[in-house]
Amino acid sequence: MAGPLEQFEIKPLAELSVAGIDISFTNSALWMVIAAVLVTGFMTLSMRRGALVPGRWQGSAEVMYEFVANMLKDNVGSAGRKYFPFVFTLFMFVLFGNLLGMIPHSFTFTSHIAVTFAMALVIFLGVTVIGFMRHGTHYLRMFFPEGAPIATAIILIPIEIISYFSRPFSLAIRLFANMTVGHIMLKVIGGFVGLIGILGVLPFALLTGITVLEFGIAALQAYVYTILTCIYLHDAIHMH
Amino acid sequence: MPQFDIATFSEQIFWLFVIFAILYFLMSRIALPKVGEVLERRQKTIEDNLGKARALKDETDAAIAKYEAALAEAREAAQADIREASEKAAAEQAKKTDAMVKKLSKKTSDAEKAIADAKADAMTGVAEAASEIAREATDKLIGVKVQAKTADKAVSAIVGE
Repeated sequence: MAGPLEQFEIKPLAELSVAGIDISFTNSALWMVIAAVLVTGFMTLSMRRGALVPGRWQGSAEVMYEFVANMLKDNVGSAGRKYFPFVFTLFMFVLFGNLLGMIPHSFTFTSHIAVTFAMALVIFLGVTVIGFMRHGTHYLRMFFPEGAPIATAIILIPIEIISYFSRPFSLAIRLFANMTVGHIMLKVIGGFVGLIGILGVLPFALLTGITVLEFGIAALQAYVYTILTCIYLHDAIHMH
Repeated sequence: MPQFDIATFSEQIFWLFVIFAILYFLMSRIALPKVGEVLERRQKTIEDNLGKARALKDETDAAIAKYEAALAEAREAAQADIREASEKAAAEQAKKTDAMVKKLSKKTSDAEKAIADAKADAMTGVAEAASEIAREATDKLIGVKVQAKTADKAVSAIVGE
């Protein structure tokens, strides 16, 4: 029986290295490709006819589009329009990564801190650059809100700086931890099913419930990851 | 935990960036413009149809108003016709009735006159006959010849004219 952590192992499928840096094509990369192919296929094949009255597939693709578009509009406003392709790609990539991880024997690339943190860092740096580009040095006011008494600066500024710089960590760790813990739990409880004979129906029933829950978490965490990105984007564009 | 095996970070991050960039390109250049275009076209079609429906409704309303005006006008004209006709009929009826009443009253008065004449004639006749009889009777009974004039006088006194 495989251990509960074995499912997270990165296995190289093709060894590659450039300038001494290992860039092997791994199972993680393979599932990223699968996710990207499925997202692209879903968003293009369903829209092939571009029907006035959408069918089931086209309707689903439109729902995803409008879901992300509304999320961006509600949280950022019309200034966020030009970041829509990025936010949409981010949402679909994370969502499909999470959901594909629910397939037995698949690999969940969003359960790796390297992946979630790399994305979070890009978002953090991008948002910071957008903030400074729109507001110049005035963006530093993020760390000391307008109207606060000057005496509170000594407390407020460190708190604001810490909260600002903890953004990529909270973004990355939330997704990584949710995916990892969920998969470990499924594996551990799944292991009990075979071990305790007829009584195995009990963990099996539990497993069924948790599987449903995990599908919900897969979608919810993709949503949370995206909506936090929208909120950071809002702060960069409109300040507080 | 495989997640903390730093040796795998470079390969994960490299492929993440490559695949995410390709997906971003495919979404922003191909998939999303198409969806946006379809949604926009649908919105435009709906608005066009709504506009068309609104125009048609206005047209219908105008036609209904016109029809109702025509109907009211026709009703008014018909009522005027009916009024005129009934007035004319009533006037004619009154005229006919008047003529009839006149004719009848003339006939009545003629008849009354004729009766009165006849009665007067009859009364004169009776008086003459009475004085005649009275003279004849006095002559025969007492042999006195009474003059006609006196007899007439006596008769008429009795009759009580």
